[in-house]
Amino acid sequence: MTSDETASGRPASGVARTLVISAAVLAVLLLGAAVGLLVKLPGSTGDSAAPASGSVDVGFCQDMAMHHLQGIQMANIARDRSADPEIRQLAFDIASTQLEQVGRMKGWLMMWNEHEQNISGVYMKWMDAAGIHGHGATTPEAGKPVMPGMATTEELTKLRTVAAGRDFDVYWLQLMLRHHVGGAPMAEYASATAGLPFVKTLADNMLKSQSAETDLMKDYLAKRGAAPLP
Amino acid sequence: MTSGKKTKATRNSVAAARSSVVASKPKPWGTIIAVIAVLGLAAGVFGYAYSQIHANNVKEAALAKWKPTDTNKDPSTQLAGIVVKDYKGSRHVEPTQRVAYDQSPAFGGPHDAQWADCTGVVYDKAVRTENMVHGLEHGAVWIAYNPDQVKDDALAKLKTKVEGIPYMMLSPFPGLDKPISLQSWGHQLKVENADDERIDQFISSLLRNANTYPEVGASCENSQFLANPAPFVAEKPGADAVPMDGGKDDSQTQPQPQQNPSTPPSGTASTPPSS
Repeated sequence: MTSDETASGRPASGVARTLVISAAVLAVLLLGAAVGLLVKLPGSTGDSAAPASGSVDVGFCQDMAMHHLQGIQMANIARDRSADPEIRQLAFDIASTQLEQVGRMKGWLMMWNEHEQNISGVYMKWMDAAGIHGHGATTPEAGKPVMPGMATTEELTKLRTVAAGRDFDVYWLQLMLRHHVGGAPMAEYASATAGLPFVKTLADNMLKSQSAETDLMKDYLAKRGAAPLP
Repeated sequence: MTSGKKTKATRNSVAAARSSVVASKPKPWGTIIAVIAVLGLAAGVFGYAYSQIHANNVKEAALAKWKPTDTNKDPSTQLAGIVVKDYKGSRHVEPTQRVAYDQSPAFGGPHDAQWADCTGVVYDKAVRTENMVHGLEHGAVWIAYNPDQVKDDALAKLKTKVEGIPYMMLSPFPGLDKPISLQSWGHQLKVENADDERIDQFISSLLRNANTYPEVGASCENSQFLANPAPFVAEKPGADAVPMDGGKDDSQTQPQPQQNPSTPPSGTASTPPSS
């Protein structure tokens, strides 16, 4: 404004005016660039970015993949050892579904440049913020399962060696039922709090399909005159 | 605050005085102040952005040190004492054959078609190396220990790193030249005690690191092997042992020529299939 008035009165200040206007334009451009930079700052970015280490998304994928792997392992033992078509069918369903889900989670972890499994030795720490289920982090101890619902080495050995037939089928159902129930809070927590929609979707899907399988296994146990593990 | 007002007032009066004296050349103070303010803001935002990015980079560098990423494919190379060798995968020997391994314990080369189960298994007895090497090919980390030197508390510490942890296995290795030796495909680190921080760093760098093992996605499950693990053989392999560049490639019907094992021989197409 001031420069306009002076410019109209004095043609000699044309150079100064050009300089001032150029500087102003440059400053505005700089400001624009700075604002552009600001919206791209790490941490302030939105949905498309990789979730941080220790986030619900990363923690769920790492720990649920590990939890699933044991489910697959037990299902494969049933494919080897059970003669009951009902058990063999359920075992195939569990093994193939969970292996496919593990593949999804490990693929995401690779894209996010994260370990495909938790190597910190502390599990489910990403659920600490919860307070909802009060699970909190778990650290493995000798002879104890790494995460809720998981079988110990001893239990797995028993599963491999228990007499084939009803004994095996019942013990397998008991371990698998406990495995499903133990993993449910993880899926529940992630389906509620994961940051990425596709992680939420998978967690929610696990929760629903596994609770259906849980009911089925309870029926199968009842049919064989057996009860779930305490 | 008072002094701020005062300087501003002083500056205004000076400007006014100057414009009245040098009426020919009044300065466009409003524009200049606006430009300086905009520049200052820009500098502030750039500075903030830089400090944020810098802090983030420093944090990530510390975290990423032992984590394989696109840009740091094999962090283990920064471990003091690590031995890295390049081995070809998928070359198998018969259950009755021995391999003349070039390292002890071996961490790559021809191996038995049966992999040692590596689903977080603690082997109480020493296991045949030819099977353990196949476990490494599937992305496992094998902790071997000298049973004369590693016992009780130290052994318990190693067990907690292995038992129930997928892609981990632990076994005694009689005659081991150091108390503990860590193996992953093409990688080895020997340490003196179970508290060495490099054990976890080795595991973090190499466990199922898709950049360093040949068969990405391969399973560690082998119930058949777990039910009856092949025992360790203490004697040195004899003259009939399979050499490091020997063994049968799974994809071939005949032993590979030694020079270029990855290229299929062009002449085999005419060979009639056996049986």
